[in-house]
Amino acid sequence: MKNCDQFRELIEAYALGALDPQDRAALEAHLATGCPECAKAVEEARWLVTQLAYTAPEAAPSDMLKGRLMQTVRAEAQSLGKPRVMPSKSAIPFWLWAGVAALLVFSIYSAWNTRRLNNEIRDANNRAASLRDEREKAEQELILAKREAMILMDPSSVKIALKSGDAQGPQLEAKWHSEWGVVVMGENIPMPSPHHVLQLWFIPKEAGKMPMPSMMIRPDANGKFVLLVSDPPESMDATKALAISEEPEGGSPWPTNPPRYSGGVS
Amino acid sequence: MLLAAFTTAGPREVPPDATLLSLLLQKDVSAFEQLYDRHARLVYGLVLRILQQASTSEEVVQDVFLQLWRNADQYDASRGPFVPWLCTMARNRALDHLRLKSERQRRREDLPEELPTIVVAPEYEKALDEKRRAERVRALMASLTPQQKKAIELAYFEGLSHSEIAATLKEPLGTVKSWIRNGLLRLKEGLQATT
Repeated sequence: MKNCDQFRELIEAYALGALDPQDRAALEAHLATGCPECAKAVEEARWLVTQLAYTAPEAAPSDMLKGRLMQTVRAEAQSLGKPRVMPSKSAIPFWLWAGVAALLVFSIYSAWNTRRLNNEIRDANNRAASLRDEREKAEQELILAKREAMILMDPSSVKIALKSGDAQGPQLEAKWHSEWGVVVMGENIPMPSPHHVLQLWFIPKEAGKMPMPSMMIRPDANGKFVLLVSDPPESMDATKALAISEEPEGGSPWPTNPPRYSGGVS
Repeated sequence: MLLAAFTTAGPREVPPDATLLSLLLQKDVSAFEQLYDRHARLVYGLVLRILQQASTSEEVVQDVFLQLWRNADQYDASRGPFVPWLCTMARNRALDHLRLKSERQRRREDLPEELPTIVVAPEYEKALDEKRRAERVRALMASLTPQQKKAIELAYFEGLSHSEIAATLKEPLGTVKSWIRNGLLRLKEGLQATT
């Protein structure tokens, strides 16, 4: 007990860290013997010493310190896969995951279905446009056919015979209506040379005026053709003759070959 | 009806340190931030009192809180309150820093650098809340004799030993020992009397 009293006097200073090395070593040796009273006294003294921290005036560290600390801590938390605002996996119930999965599947199906319907609508629109184009083309052809028939049947139309330079060659015929245009027809027409076409010319009455280029003629496999010129480059009164010559593919602005067929406009 | 007029929402519930520390074990950044906001002024004030230099003190405080963040599992809440543990860690770090720059380094170089020992609060201390405890400790320290107070402060804030304090104050070693012991015992009695 006397021994304990000796060390009790050191305990507060020991907790404070103020013992000189020799006293500290002696006390620690005594504590190592397992003295319960002194051990308890040391614990209380340590507690007492911690209270001295309150005697220091409180002071606010700079905001930069907190900023640096939080930056480091957040970075370390993220590297550990613990972002601050992310809820833990266990915080999300299974039914929520199931709901999200169902919503995802439904969204994918809806997107696929919408795309399929859009494709069908687009195909239908394309088919409708194609039918519309075919109908417009047929209507245009019908209009032209009607116009050709009107020109051919109208008694006021002027008949023009286009004779071949070869006496054995086919004879072509044209009918010119002053308002509706000219229809040129032929059968058994020899095909033009490779890379050449047949081109219709309007030859003006006015002396020295160049023949006026018109449309190109494309006979079918049997050498037959019907050509409607609904807007002739010259009026009937100003036209001396019609001629057809063989010209390079794509046509020519002026004749490059003598006419194969020609006929005067009376 | 009259009472209803006085019915207000209670104070916002503040999680205790123990709750935040358990969250800290799960690396909860928000818990760490709350602990920092709650105790940084006390810790920084203590370190600044020891080192007397703001920039160095901030470095030490940063080390202390990073140590807390990285090694929160070394604090056992069942064995004692958190604040004394944190303050002891801060004081040890600050004194270590001080020793590195002084001739007194040899005096403590044999002490291992380690986390502070858990201190167990006596029953009479558990009744005091943080603010009241701080006020009471300051009042009791102010009530000590200037010599007692000076000797304790030299030991606590400057890490001086009995012999060094005696040399600093030019007083006999036995007298210094008495000042420190009697001062601390008076502090202890004062805290006991508070409850």
